[in-house]
Amino acid sequence: MKLDDQTFRLTDAGKLGMIALVIGVIGLVASGIGFTMDKTQFFHSYLVAFVFWTTIGLGGLFFTLIHHLLHPIWSVVVRRIFESIMVTLPLMVIFFLPIAFMGGLSELYHWSHADAVAHDALLQEKVGYLNVPFFLIRAFAYFAIWAVLAFLLYRLSLKQDDKHHPELTGRMMAISAPGMVLFALSITFASFDWLMSLDPHWYSTIFGVYVFSGALVSVLALIILVSLSLRKTGKLKEIITVEHYHDLGKLMFAFLVFWAYMAYSQYFLIWYGNIPEETVWFAHRWPGSWKMISLGLVLGHFVIPFVLLMPRKSKRTLPFLGVMAFWMLIFHWVDMYWLVLPNLHHETVHLSWMDASTLFGIGGIFIWWFWRTLAAHPVIPIDDPKLDESIRFVNH
Amino acid sequence: MDAVTAEKTHVDAPLIQGNPTFHDVSEKISSLIEGKTPPLWFIAIGLSSSIVLLLLGSVGYLLWEGLGIWGLQNPNGWGWAIVNFVFWVGIGHAGTLISAILFLLRQKWRTSINRFAEAMTLFAVICAGLFPAIHVGRIWLIYWIFPYPTQYLSMWPNFRSPLLWDAFAVGTYFTVSCLFWYVGLIPDLATLRDRATTKIRKVLFGIFALGWRGGNKQWKHYELAYLLLAGLSTPLVLSVHSIVSTDFAVSIIPGWHTTIFPPYFVAGAIFSGFAMVMTLGIITRKIFGLEDYITIRHLENMNKIMLLTGMMVGYAYGCEFFIAWYSGNEFERFAFINRAFGPYWWAYWSMISCNVLVPQLFWFKKLRRSIPVMFVASIFINIGMWFERFVIVITSLSRDFLPSSWDYYRPTIFDVTTFIGTFGLFLTLFLLFVRFLPVIAMAEVKGVLPQADPHHHDTH
Repeated sequence: MKLDDQTFRLTDAGKLGMIALVIGVIGLVASGIGFTMDKTQFFHSYLVAFVFWTTIGLGGLFFTLIHHLLHPIWSVVVRRIFESIMVTLPLMVIFFLPIAFMGGLSELYHWSHADAVAHDALLQEKVGYLNVPFFLIRAFAYFAIWAVLAFLLYRLSLKQDDKHHPELTGRMMAISAPGMVLFALSITFASFDWLMSLDPHWYSTIFGVYVFSGALVSVLALIILVSLSLRKTGKLKEIITVEHYHDLGKLMFAFLVFWAYMAYSQYFLIWYGNIPEETVWFAHRWPGSWKMISLGLVLGHFVIPFVLLMPRKSKRTLPFLGVMAFWMLIFHWVDMYWLVLPNLHHETVHLSWMDASTLFGIGGIFIWWFWRTLAAHPVIPIDDPKLDESIRFVNH
Repeated sequence: MDAVTAEKTHVDAPLIQGNPTFHDVSEKISSLIEGKTPPLWFIAIGLSSSIVLLLLGSVGYLLWEGLGIWGLQNPNGWGWAIVNFVFWVGIGHAGTLISAILFLLRQKWRTSINRFAEAMTLFAVICAGLFPAIHVGRIWLIYWIFPYPTQYLSMWPNFRSPLLWDAFAVGTYFTVSCLFWYVGLIPDLATLRDRATTKIRKVLFGIFALGWRGGNKQWKHYELAYLLLAGLSTPLVLSVHSIVSTDFAVSIIPGWHTTIFPPYFVAGAIFSGFAMVMTLGIITRKIFGLEDYITIRHLENMNKIMLLTGMMVGYAYGCEFFIAWYSGNEFERFAFINRAFGPYWWAYWSMISCNVLVPQLFWFKKLRRSIPVMFVASIFINIGMWFERFVIVITSLSRDFLPSSWDYYRPTIFDVTTFIGTFGLFLTLFLLFVRFLPVIAMAEVKGVLPQADPHHHDTH
């Protein structure tokens, strides 16, 4: 991997893209075989992988929006990274197609069966929202919003590289303000549609914010990992300094606490209210070894990283921060798994090879696409008016 | 650089206008305390303390006569007192958010507004705490809420009751906010001590300045203490209103029992807190001529926060309404239809207009920077946030599960006088504060002046 000192482009993007592509293709082919063997298992595993990578892409979109709204200085140096993560969102629509048109709906969503609805008074009440055509229209509307925002913001960002365009900062802000409103609504309803309606009787007002909080943690983790891998090129060591990692670490810490706050609000209020139609959702996450996943999530997604990331030193020791970032990504996947799979395996956790093949299949393509985007242009926004300040930035 | 060019080049306007020296800052802020008391102040405190008398009278009569003088009835066991409690606790959220969270986020503009916002936090929490205390009926037994070991009582409070958590959450919040405020005041108190011309000032400021000399070592300790207190206060800003929300959300009453309540209440609290900081900030700024310290940039930033938090509560209203429908549960659905179109429709739509529609004005830069607009908007938001709590508390209770017990809640004159009375208390405390303590954090403002950073090392 080599970085040109003048243009800040990766003249040699290394083998990562190729490796990711190969893994992705192998994963998808294997998943395709799985599809022919066991459609039900395939689609559940596939949905976990799909929401895992989509939420990371959405996290990238969120960081781009908030960056343009708040004009922070420190994050300018890593802006290209989260912008490139955001650019994976238009790609994710392709991965949605199997769920939409290859029988995924009927395997995953109980409410999509007309005969089930006919015998279920509650589902009849919801049929105005939970029906296949409207579900698809909504899904494509979410993707349209995300793709348009990603496309517009990324194009302006590249345009800024050409020469000094201070007015573009204002344009990006003007898109981001309404973009943030659209983002909040779309991620909320996407969470309701894709994840909450897996158990169509169950409902929770905080669910959208819960999914959003996990997306924030995981995208920060990915930003940290990508920045660390770019350090191998040498030059970026002086640009993305330990000060920036410290801030990324602080934010990852803050948002994992935010995730815990959302998770706790949801659990605690349902536990205390103790109404069967609400507690059933947690009851499904308790039998057999599901207990271990539920408790493991509390420990792995909150308690352990909370303690380990608390000291200043742990956020400034880069190898350690990298391990913690990887750890958070693993637990984001566990979180998504915990949201989806209890609807299939009621008795106990039942891992399938397809959980891995779909994760690496979609993930390989995701990383390949992301890396291609990042490598095609300067890896830092070279003409951002605040770049110099950002490089000099120091934590006190 | 003036504000217009700053706008054009997307470089932020200077935090403090008029390019004052360090000495100018001390002179300006201290003169508000050291100068002759303006007649307007006497008129204002005369009025506000008369309203405190109204409060004392109302509370006195309540203690003498009992809770029957309020509009409480069956099924509305909670009325204005709880509405007012949540309203005031909410207002008490901006101060600590500004001093703790904005500090951790390196938002230097906070230095001009943190001092009086924190003071308002304390005064608002005092007003808030009054309501549950007098609501217990026998206030002389209020200490029973504390789980102290005693043979006399031979029982413990119910640890599973959110009302008990309230006592701890609000108590902790008040204590830490007080400490935080005081720690921030120490260097300024020392400045006032050093400038004191009368014996009594010298002694009093001297005692409270705790021997501050402004040495390098002292500053080092001070900044560490400030950082630690900011870290401790940050979860408290979120936890207090989360706990308050559980007063409602742990029950199974439709309209109360919903999982989004904790973050939704926190967003609402910050929203209302900023509105109150804005209302009083604009008046203070005008009367004391602090336009160079609390600039349009500060006000605009606060308006942006209000736009954001206003959208957040709008999101929560929408989310609740949608999920009530989506649940397919007829009680949930009824609770929300009843809110919007039932007997309290006027309260619901006042809430929506003030909290969701009014902040939309702040999308426009011109309106965001117009003082008359933001002043009026902040008052509407204060009203709207009171109505939000009214809608939550009253509509759900007045229509409980048994239609035979439904009733229409009406406050009595004593509900009204007690509520107005707390405004008197709040304003009296605030007036005393602006007269006797520095309304702007002098030491912190000096730290963000350009000459405090001669090497342009620290430009964010």
